[in-house]
Amino acid sequence: MSDLAPALSWWVVLRVFLRSLFLQASWNPQGMQNLGLAYAVYPALERLYPEKGLLEVAVRRHLVFFNTHPYVAAAIVGGVLHHEQRIARGEETPDKVVAFKAALMGPLAALGDGFFWLSLKPATGAVCAALVPVLDAWAAVVFLVLYNLVHFWLRAKLYVLGLSMGDRLVEAVARANLPSRGAKLRSVGAACAGGLAAWLALDFGARAGGRFSPLLSVGCLALGAVSYVLVARRVPSYVVLYLAAGLACVAGAFL
Amino acid sequence: MNVGWTQVALAGVWGGLVAVERKAFLQAMFSRPLVAATAMGALLDDVPSGLFVGLLLELFHLGSANLGASLPDNDTLSATGASAAAASMAAATGSGSTPAIWSLSVLLFLGLGRWGRGVDRFLERYSARLARKALASAEAGQLTRAMRQNQWGMWPHFVLFGLMTAACACAGWLIGPLLDVVPLRVLRGLAWAYPAMASVSAAIAARGSHAKRSSFYAGLGAGVVTLTVVLLALRERL
Repeated sequence: MSDLAPALSWWVVLRVFLRSLFLQASWNPQGMQNLGLAYAVYPALERLYPEKGLLEVAVRRHLVFFNTHPYVAAAIVGGVLHHEQRIARGEETPDKVVAFKAALMGPLAALGDGFFWLSLKPATGAVCAALVPVLDAWAAVVFLVLYNLVHFWLRAKLYVLGLSMGDRLVEAVARANLPSRGAKLRSVGAACAGGLAAWLALDFGARAGGRFSPLLSVGCLALGAVSYVLVARRVPSYVVLYLAAGLACVAGAFL
Repeated sequence: MNVGWTQVALAGVWGGLVAVERKAFLQAMFSRPLVAATAMGALLDDVPSGLFVGLLLELFHLGSANLGASLPDNDTLSATGASAAAASMAAATGSGSTPAIWSLSVLLFLGLGRWGRGVDRFLERYSARLARKALASAEAGQLTRAMRQNQWGMWPHFVLFGLMTAACACAGWLIGPLLDVVPLRVLRGLAWAYPAMASVSAAIAARGSHAKRSSFYAGLGAGVVTLTVVLLALRERL
């Protein structure tokens, strides 16, 4: 450790961010994202610890178990750089960075899973699927743009927060109020999915049914409602889908 | 029998790329069924097949998520496989894309999601070996070698899922000509199955939205759309 530890250039900081996009490249059940994290922060460690022995020790402390949500991991990666700079300058001991990761990975994983996987992704998917009647294939492009505006903006912001604030990033993340925003997104997703179920039944039913189109449309609407109840009662969704397809096939073939 | 090998190769490359994007790199949602299948349709010159297969599978898999160490069904493989098969089938029949073809593809290739999950599990063991190798290299002071192990974790995803998607495209070329001998009433049944499966998938999506009062919001959405469509139809008649 030295007071003369070199500062991290913007290029190294950017490289670490880009390498953090490979966080799960070798996700494994034992260390989970350990190898990905070590890979991400390696350029910074190389710069901070020119002496090989110190560099080896620094790399090894990031090869231990690590797992969090891959997007919000950016905050931890930024925080690791923050702490490693202080460790290299002799301002704190190496156990601080280990404790920082251990304390944050669980809560941030829960936050990221709840907001990104269980709210933003289904809501954007449902909204853009509902846009298919209007936009056709462009709905897929709108999906990518809408989702990634939020995704990359938050990922970059969390990285900068971690880098500049270290442990204090928790307060900043709490202020973002992601859980309540997620709940609103989930409601939008449910409404869009319900609306789309009705549109698919009515529009495709009318197109495919010929003279039986009212029957097919009403039948599909009823199947949608029944399948909602069946899935809510834990009937596997595969079974429900194949049953519905079988019924429609038989009706279409024999009516 | 005529197989479009260029299309099979394109399907394999795209299937491999989105398999890597799904978990190993970026996760910018190119691997979501709606996007991956629509792009597959565009690559194989049959956007409707990709779009409507992708729409159905997007809704069907909407509620699944990769939380912690749990592995959901591989929605990307079922989307790329089914859309590649649908586009190849449509090309092989020469009569274009139809709801019957979309239904048949979904019914035949939906189960790939389960197979994909099995492959994901298998590849985790490979990654665990890489992690052990990286640790050993780091202990031996070979840090660059240790870090390189991380990148090796992506290749098997690209190769295995690419091959599986290419096999689906091949299957589409083989099944396509058989549709000419299928009785018309069966084709009509398959055409009816598409709206049925799509509205069931949308209902499954509403349930999988994780909203607190999902039944209320889904019912509200369905009610508004039904009312609008009925009013528009009545206005046209008057």
